Amino acid sequence: MPTAWRKNAARAAAGLNPLYAAGTVFLVVYALVFADSYDQRILAIAGIYALLVIGYQLVFGHAGAISLAQAAFFGLGAYVTALLATRLGLPFLVTFPASLAAAAALAALVALPVLRLESHYFALATLAIGQAALAAAVNWESLTGGGGGLGGVPPVSLFGFAITRGVWLLALIWGLVAVGGAVAWLLIRGPRGLAIRAAREAPMAAGAVGIDAGRMRFTLFVLGAAYGGGAGALHAHLLGVVSPEVLRLPVMVSCLAMTIIGGRTRVAGAIIGALLLVHLPEWFRFAERFGPLVYGLALLATIIAAPDGLTGAAARLRQFLWPGAPPPPPEIPPRAGSLSHAPASTELKVSDLSKRFGGVAAVRDVSFTLRGGEILGLIGPNGSGKTTILNLITGIERPDGGRIVLNGEDIAGWNPHRIARRGIGRAFQTPMLVESMTALDNVALANQTALNARAYYPGRRLADARAEAASFLDRLEIGSSAMHRRVAELPHGARRRVEIARALAAHPRILVLDEPAAGLDENEREALRSTLRDLAAQGMALIVIEHDFHFLSGLASRLICLDAGQVIAQGTADAVRRNRLVVAAFFGPTPGEDGAP
Amino acid sequence: MRPIQTTIAMIALAAAVALIHPGLIGPAMAQTGAIRIPVLVPLTGPLALEGTSQRNGAVMALTDAPVGVRIEYEVLDTGAAPETAVNALERVLARGGVSVIVAPIFGAQMLAMLPIAAERKVPLITISGTAQLTEMGNPYVFRFFPNDSVAKTAHALYVVEALGKKRPAVLFQTTAYGQSGRQHLAANFARLGATVVFEEGLDINLKDFLPALIKAKQANADALVLQLHAAPTALLLRQAASMGLGIPIVAGSAMHQPTTAALLQPAERKGVCAESASSPVSSIDPAVERWVAAYRREFGAEPDDFALTQYDAVRMAIDAAVQGARGPEEMRAALASGNFTGLAMTYKSDGMGNMAHDAIIMCYDDQGRPRIDRRYPRLG
Repeated sequence: MPTAWRKNAARAAAGLNPLYAAGTVFLVVYALVFADSYDQRILAIAGIYALLVIGYQLVFGHAGAISLAQAAFFGLGAYVTALLATRLGLPFLVTFPASLAAAAALAALVALPVLRLESHYFALATLAIGQAALAAAVNWESLTGGGGGLGGVPPVSLFGFAITRGVWLLALIWGLVAVGGAVAWLLIRGPRGLAIRAAREAPMAAGAVGIDAGRMRFTLFVLGAAYGGGAGALHAHLLGVVSPEVLRLPVMVSCLAMTIIGGRTRVAGAIIGALLLVHLPEWFRFAERFGPLVYGLALLATIIAAPDGLTGAAARLRQFLWPGAPPPPPEIPPRAGSLSHAPASTELKVSDLSKRFGGVAAVRDVSFTLRGGEILGLIGPNGSGKTTILNLITGIERPDGGRIVLNGEDIAGWNPHRIARRGIGRAFQTPMLVESMTALDNVALANQTALNARAYYPGRRLADARAEAASFLDRLEIGSSAMHRRVAELPHGARRRVEIARALAAHPRILVLDEPAAGLDENEREALRSTLRDLAAQGMALIVIEHDFHFLSGLASRLICLDAGQVIAQGTADAVRRNRLVVAAFFGPTPGEDGAP
Repeated sequence: MRPIQTTIAMIALAAAVALIHPGLIGPAMAQTGAIRIPVLVPLTGPLALEGTSQRNGAVMALTDAPVGVRIEYEVLDTGAAPETAVNALERVLARGGVSVIVAPIFGAQMLAMLPIAAERKVPLITISGTAQLTEMGNPYVFRFFPNDSVAKTAHALYVVEALGKKRPAVLFQTTAYGQSGRQHLAANFARLGATVVFEEGLDINLKDFLPALIKAKQANADALVLQLHAAPTALLLRQAASMGLGIPIVAGSAMHQPTTAALLQPAERKGVCAESASSPVSSIDPAVERWVAAYRREFGAEPDDFALTQYDAVRMAIDAAVQGARGPEEMRAALASGNFTGLAMTYKSDGMGNMAHDAIIMCYDDQGRPRIDRRYPRLG
C-alpha cells in the first residue's frame, strides 16, 4: 500500500468515533444473525432513506439551502425506474443510473432560476417543484397510472440473479449507501470542506477569496438530487409499486426530520437518522392510532436531548468516554521571505466608472490608475462613494458604466470570486469571517484558491493549507492559541488581522482594504502600517480607504478624495490636504467663498 | 476505559439491541393451535375514517368467533403510504402462522401488498373498491365490497334511469379510488347514452370546492356525481348546500357512512343519495339491527357499510377455519370456492376474487335520515 494511502487511512481511522465503529459492527451482526425477513426489510428501507438523506445533507447541511424538492427527486427516480422496468423491461443496471441522471438533470434545469433565490423564497420555489411533480404524477394517468400508480416493478436483478429480500438485498442497498457515503465524505472533507462551509456561512467572504459559492450550491444541489433519484430507484424495485405517495409532503418531512435528528452535515448522521426514523414507527405500531403521537413525542424528546443532532450527541459522548488531547498545532514555518510575491508589473486602470442606486449617483466618472508597489488612499466624507468603488472593483456591485482593466483585461461586472482569482484581495469595513471557524481555517480556505485558480479544490491536504495559513497569521501577530479559537471569540483588532491574513493567503496582486485601522489601538495601527508598507515594497498594489488622515498620509503614495461620487482631488497627501474642495467637502465651504455664509 | 464508561457503553448497546428489534416490543404472538388473522388497516391519514370502520368490523367478527375457536389477532396501522402497508405485511408474515390477513381499503397499498401475498401464498381479504386489484390474476386477493364495475354501474344506472338525468357532471378524487371510479362511471354513462358535461379531478387535501361546483353549474349539468372520500364529500356537500346548487347529487360510497353524515346538518344532506353495498343503519333486517346495536355498544359510534362488509369477510374466513381451513392455502381455497351468507349480502367469488355483487342506492330524506332507495342485486 502506498505510504500516502496508509497515512490517509490511519488519519481517517483515528478520526472515527468508536461509537460509530461499534454501531456498525452491531448492525452487521444483527442483520446477519438476529434479523428475520421483516427486520431485514426495515433495514433495507432505512438504507434507502439513508441514501436519500446523504444527498439531502449536501443541499441542506452543506449548501445551507432549505430545499423542499428532495422528495420530488426521490419520486422522479422511482417513476423513471418503474417506467423503464415495466414498459421497456430494462434491468437495474439501466434503471438505477437512469434514475440518478433524470433527477440530476431535473435539478440542473430548475437550479438555474431557483438557486438565485434566497432562504424562504428558495424553500417555496422548491416546494412548488415538488407539488408540480405530484400534480404530474396524479394527473398524467396514461404515463404514471394516476393515483393508483404503477405496479409490477420487478425486484433488482443483477447478472440473472433476482435480489428480492434477505442478506443479499441488504448487501446491495447498504453497499450503495457505503459508496454514496464515501463519495459525500470525500466531497466535503479537507480544504474543499472549508470552502463549502465558507460559502454557506459567509458567501461574501468566500467570494472575496475566489470561492464560487454559486457553482458550489449548484453542484451540491444537483448531486443531492442524484442521490434522491438513486434512492427512489431502489425504493421502486423494493416495493414493486410506485404511487404518488412517494412525492407527497410526508416523504419530504421524513427526509428533513432524519437530517435534523441525525445531524445535518455528517454522513453518520444521515445513517443514524434514517435508521431511527424508519424504525420508530415500527416500534410503536402496537399503539395503533396513537402510534403517530408516540412517534412525535419520541422525536421531540430526541430533538430536545440532542439539538445538534445525534452525531453531535455522539461526539460529546465520545469526548466523555474517551477524552482526547486537542489537535496538535500546525508547524509554523520560520519567518523568512516575503508576505507577497505580487509582480510589480501589475496595473489596474479604472476609467469613467459610474454607479447609481435608484436616483442617487454613488460613483460618477471616476478614473485612476494603480501600479504594483503603489498605495492609493481613498478619502472622502461619509457617503462619498469610497466603499462603492471598492465594491465595483471587487465585483460585489456591477458598474453602470466605465471600465476596470486589470493588466489589459476588462474585469468590470465580473463575479467576485472570478475577480479574486485574478488577484484582487479584499478586507471589508466590518471583517467578514466565517464565525464558526477558527482563525486558522479562515485563512486556510483562502490559500487553496490562490494555488489553483481554476477550481476551489487544489488537491492539497488540509494540514498543508493550515501550515501555510499559520505562517500568514504568525506574520500578522496572531499567536498560536488565538489561531485555534473561533474567530467569533477574538477581539476586534485580531479579527481585522485575520481578515488581512486571509486576503494575503490568496496571494493577491492588488489588496483593497476598507478602513483597516478602524478600532485598532496605536500599536496595532503602527504594526499594520508597517505590514502594508512591506507589502507595497514587495510589489503589491494597495487601495486603502481610511478616515484617519494621519494614518493614511504616512502610508499612501497618492490620495484620491471623493465627494458625492466624484473625484475632487488627487495627488500627494500634502497636496490633497491643502485642496480647498477637500477642505470644503469635509468641513463645509470657507466663510467668504461662493455660496458660503 | 473506566468501569462506569464501560457500563454506560454496555447499557447503550443493550438498549440498541432491544430497540432495533421490533419483536421485542409489542404483543407476543402466535400461540399454538390458534387461528391467526392480523388486521392491517389505515387508522391514520386521509383514509382513517374508512380504516377505522374496517378495523371495528374485523375486530367485532374476531371477538364474536364461535366457542372453541381460538383466534389471535393484532391490529396494525398501515397509515397513508404503500410502504407502511407492506412493512406491516412483512411484519406479520415474519412472525409466521398467519391464516388470512385483513388488508387495507386503500387501493395503492393493496397494489403494493399483492405481489408479496402471492409470493408468500397468504390470502388477503379487503373491502378496497379499486377495480385493478382483481384484474391482475392474483389468486390471493378477495374483495368483500362491490368493485367499481358493480358499484359504478349501480351509480350510473340510478342517475340515468331512476333520476332520468342525461347530463351529469362528475367530480372525482385524484386517488386510485377516485380515478378508477371515474373510468367506470364514464364507461357506464356512455353505455347508457348520457353525456358527462363536466368532470374534474380534486386533490384529497383540497378544502375549497366552490370553483368546481360553479364550473359544473355553468356546464348546465343536470346531476352532480361524486367519487370522493369521506371528508371531501362532506365539505363539498356543505358548500353545495350553501350555494344552492339546485341539481340532484349522487355521491360515492363515502356518503353512506354515518361518520360522513355526522359532519353535515340534516338540511345539508337532505336529498343527497349515495351508492353503497349496504346501509346497516337503514336496515330493517333483525340480524343487522342486532349487529348495529352491538356495534354501537362496543365502539360508541354508528356503523357503516365498510364495517359491516369487513365483518362479513372475517366471519367467512372464521367459518372456513371452523370447517377445517387452518393454513393459508386451505383458507384461499375455501374463500375461492365457498359461498357465505353474511349480514350485508351473500358472498361468492366470481373466479377473480370479487366476492360482492350487490349494490344499493341510499338517500337522505327531508329530515336527513338515510333510507335505501334502490337495490341492484347481482350486477357483477
